[in-house]
Amino acid sequence: MPTRILVVEDSILISSALQILLESGGYEVSVAETAGDAVKAGLALPPDVVLLDLTLPDADGLTVLAQLRSGGVTPVLKLAMTGHDDNSTRDRCIAAGCDEVLVKPVPARELLRIIGERLT
Amino acid sequence: MSADSRRRSAPSDGELVDLRSQYDLSQLHAEIAEARKIISDLRDRDSLKTQFLSNIAHDLRTPLTAIITHAEILRDGLLGEISPKQGESVRTIITGGRQLLDMIAEILLYAKGSSEPLAVTATRFSFRDVVDQITALNESLVAKKHLELECSVPDDLPPVIGDRDKIMHVLMNLLGNAFAFTPPGGKVWVGAMLDTHRPAGPVIQVEVGDTGRGIAPDHHELIFREFAQVDSSASRAHHGTGLGLTIARRLVELHGGRIWVESELGRGSRFFFTLPCARIEE
Repeated sequence: MPTRILVVEDSILISSALQILLESGGYEVSVAETAGDAVKAGLALPPDVVLLDLTLPDADGLTVLAQLRSGGVTPVLKLAMTGHDDNSTRDRCIAAGCDEVLVKPVPARELLRIIGERLT
Repeated sequence: MSADSRRRSAPSDGELVDLRSQYDLSQLHAEIAEARKIISDLRDRDSLKTQFLSNIAHDLRTPLTAIITHAEILRDGLLGEISPKQGESVRTIITGGRQLLDMIAEILLYAKGSSEPLAVTATRFSFRDVVDQITALNESLVAKKHLELECSVPDDLPPVIGDRDKIMHVLMNLLGNAFAFTPPGGKVWVGAMLDTHRPAGPVIQVEVGDTGRGIAPDHHELIFREFAQVDSSASRAHHGTGLGLTIARRLVELHGGRIWVESELGRGSRFFFTLPCARIEE
C-alpha cells in the first residue's frame, strides 16, 4: 500500500506544487485547505504523514494534530511548515508533537529525503 | 477692525497691548490645535501605509513560494531529466526567487516593528557560537567573492543576554553589507570585546569591519534611516530594500544597545554595536 500524505495548506498554489513534488516521489497525496477539513479527512482516512501549514484560515495549524490525536489518529511523521524561521515557532511546533519544522519554501529534495528516511 | 490691522497699529496704552496678546494667544492655540491634527492625520496615514506594506509583502510571499517549489521540482529532475542549459535557467529562477523572499522577509520585519514593539525572547548564549554559525553559513559566499573573513572573539567573553535570533539577524545584516560592498581580494572581520567601563554595567562591543568602499561621514546617520541608500549604484549592486540597517538599529536598541559606524570614503567601514551581557562574576 502506498504511503499516504495529507497536505494541509490554504494556498492552492503552494499545495499543488507540494502535491506534484510528493507524487513524483511515489506517495499518495490528499490536500485539505482548512483545519476543519484536515481533521475530517485525517479521521476518515488516517495518513502516514501530515504536512501542516501553521497559518490556516479557521485555526492554528497545530490544532489539527491535537484533534487527530484525540480521534485516535497519530501519523508516523508530523511535519510543520512555516514562513517564520525563529526559535519560538520551532519550540511551539516541537511542543505540539511535530517531528520536524520546515521553513517555506520547503526545499524539494530535503522534503523527499526527510520523508524517505523517516518512513523506512 | 481686522486682526491684521489691529496688530499693525502700534499700541500706545496698556489695554491695547493686553488685547493684542490675548488675540495672539488664541491664534497660537488654534495653530497648535491645527498642527496637532495634521500630525495625527499623518501618523494615521503612515500606519495605513505600513499596514499596506505588510499586507502586500504577505501576498507576494505565497505565489513566490509556489514558484520556487515548482522550479526546484524541475531542477531536481523530479518530472524528468532536463538539459544542462535548462538547469541553468531554472537555477536562476530559484536564486532570484530566494533573493526576493529575503527582501520580503525584511519588509515584513520592518512593518511588524513599526506597528508594535517586537517581542524579545531573551536567553543567555555564547556570542562565539553565533559568529561560528554565521561564518559557516557564509563560507561559500566568502570563497566565491575571494574575500578574507577573520573572526576574533575572546574565549573568556561572558555570555550575551538577549534574543539570539534577533542578534543573529543584526550580525548577518552587517556582514551581508560588508560582503556586498567589499571588492574581491578585500578583507572582512568580526570582533567582540568586553567593555566594563559603562555606567549602566558591562556590555559586549561587537565590531564588523571591511576594506570596502567606505561611507562618507555625511551619510553616517542617513544609512540607518528607513529606505535610505547612499547612492543608486550601491543599491544596484546590493539589491537591498534599504531597510536592513534600520532594522538592525531597531533590534540593537530593543536590547538597550547602540549601533554606529566609523568610516571614510575609500577607507573601508567599521560598524559597532553593543549588547547586554551577563555579569562577569556570575
